[in-house]
Amino acid sequence: MAAVGLKCPECGSLDIVDDEHYSQPQLVCADCGAVVSEGLLTTTRSEELQGTDVRYSNSTEVNKQPCRNQIKGIHRVRALCRILRLSFVMEETAENYFKQAYEHPSFIRVSLQKKEVLAGCCILATCRQHSWPITMGTMTCLLEANPKLMGVVYQEMVKALKIEAPPTSVIDLLETHCQAYKLSPQHVHEELSESSKDLTKRAAVLLELAADAWLVTGRQPVPILTASIYLAWQSLKPTQTRLKYTLARFCQMAKVAKSSIAPKRVTELKEVLCKLGQELPWLRGSEMTPQTVVQMVDDILNYRLTLLRKALKSHEAALASESELPPSLEDTQPGPRDDAPSLDATASQPDAESAQQPQQDVDLTCTVVMGGLSRAGSGQVSTPSKRSLFEPPSVTHAKIRRVQLPVKEVTGDEEISDSEIDSYIRTPQEMRDYAEAKEALSSSEEEF
Amino acid sequence: MEPSNDVALDIIITNVVAVFRTRCHLNLRTIALEGVNVIYKPEYGKVLMKLRKPRITASIWSSGKIICTGATSEEEAKQGARRLARTLQKLGFKVRFADFKVVNVLAVCSMPFAIRLIDFTKKNRPIASYEPELHPAATYRIKTLKATIQIFSTGSLTDLLGI
Repeated sequence: MAAVGLKCPECGSLDIVDDEHYSQPQLVCADCGAVVSEGLLTTTRSEELQGTDVRYSNSTEVNKQPCRNQIKGIHRVRALCRILRLSFVMEETAENYFKQAYEHPSFIRVSLQKKEVLAGCCILATCRQHSWPITMGTMTCLLEANPKLMGVVYQEMVKALKIEAPPTSVIDLLETHCQAYKLSPQHVHEELSESSKDLTKRAAVLLELAADAWLVTGRQPVPILTASIYLAWQSLKPTQTRLKYTLARFCQMAKVAKSSIAPKRVTELKEVLCKLGQELPWLRGSEMTPQTVVQMVDDILNYRLTLLRKALKSHEAALASESELPPSLEDTQPGPRDDAPSLDATASQPDAESAQQPQQDVDLTCTVVMGGLSRAGSGQVSTPSKRSLFEPPSVTHAKIRRVQLPVKEVTGDEEISDSEIDSYIRTPQEMRDYAEAKEALSSSEEEF
Repeated sequence: MEPSNDVALDIIITNVVAVFRTRCHLNLRTIALEGVNVIYKPEYGKVLMKLRKPRITASIWSSGKIICTGATSEEEAKQGARRLARTLQKLGFKVRFADFKVVNVLAVCSMPFAIRLIDFTKKNRPIASYEPELHPAATYRIKTLKATIQIFSTGSLTDLLGI
């Protein structure tokens, strides 16, 4: 029965059925065959049941075609690779990573914002694997994304895809960073210009010195790069004009972004250079201040190994003389040796997990410093002076932990001090009031 | 440092987080009005109650689930939780002390030497990860113990153990 209440106009029967004449739906009387009503021969697109878009999960399709956002993401990856001028191999790797990550269950349902950042993270991972120096900050700027979101997505992606992407060292980042500084003769005055190669070389040496003096570990890489390039530029031609340029003005001139942390790094680096510069024999004991040290940087860097040895020696001598004075120290140091810390002896220091493998001339500096550090730090004495010559700045300006005072139990039997006794003894007025009140009470009690 | 030098490291537990259930519905408004040392947070749907004797802050939800934070040892956490259940009982709820579980332990420690993080991470990949642009410490995860250790270049370690 097609519909209740429909009657055939010819024979009057109620037996109307839904029948189709080829593809035209008709309502036909089952008894006499009269057509009661018929539908349209053609249908619109929205009424079609066959050939419509079917979801992948409802179909029998084997390979899933990439969805629109995935295709957009892959285009984004390709575009970023072209901007960064990466090689074809790297582009392919980045695309593969993106495809894998996109289809991974932890990324398939995240917000579009995260998927955009995912594209950048894949490229970052590829660059790191191929030792292409790029910072996360650069990628964040390119994507105009939130740096924290970038960090979160990057770490999730590395965990999900189980890839190993060794982070770039600061020294590798130096060359690319240096190229951003516009200091060629066509950009600035001839007196202020410097070639990128010289600048990189000098800055690399300064950076290694900073790394040995604990200024690089645990800190943001970009400010220390800026600081070392600034000092390199000043020291390559220490004329009055250059020395008068502050860091902010230097960044403005070289058309590089300013940073609020770089001036602190400049100060720290200058302090380290001062410590070394103090040992220069042709100074003959005159004070080396951060202002005058810049002119001497050239000499300091050329002879830094010798200066380092001498500085450690004099520091140990100073510590020895200090430890002799107070005899009541618990663990006195076993008398720091007066011979210069030999480079061979330091190779056997196994304590710090980061014992350097001596590779080149540069690393000898590290082993000398490590030797100085570990030897000076072997005693548990907390001398007023620093334990070693170069300590991480967070150790020298240590955070003072607030000590919680033990809560004392109040028993009531404590001694009353003289200053407080007045609050316990009644004044004459109080005594009178008390007597009156007592009388009033006792009289009211008697009444009852 | 000579290997024979036995340096006793002070590992200080700074925080223990525990959860338990009261197996009964709690009226947060009553607790907020009649309880002592409570803070009502209607936008989060919970009440914070702070105890003094074991210094503990507890988040109380109306379903009866309670999270205690701020204790300095597991026994203290259990003591504080029991005290809290007793306080709720005095307020008139039919509470029971059920399903007590310590969820998180946070401890700090300080090494007497400084650590070069970049070399450390190179030697301990992939267990250790270090992103200087994101966080100044290197993260070392021990899967078997479900522990995350943050290692700072000054030698301080922060250890978070999740059970």
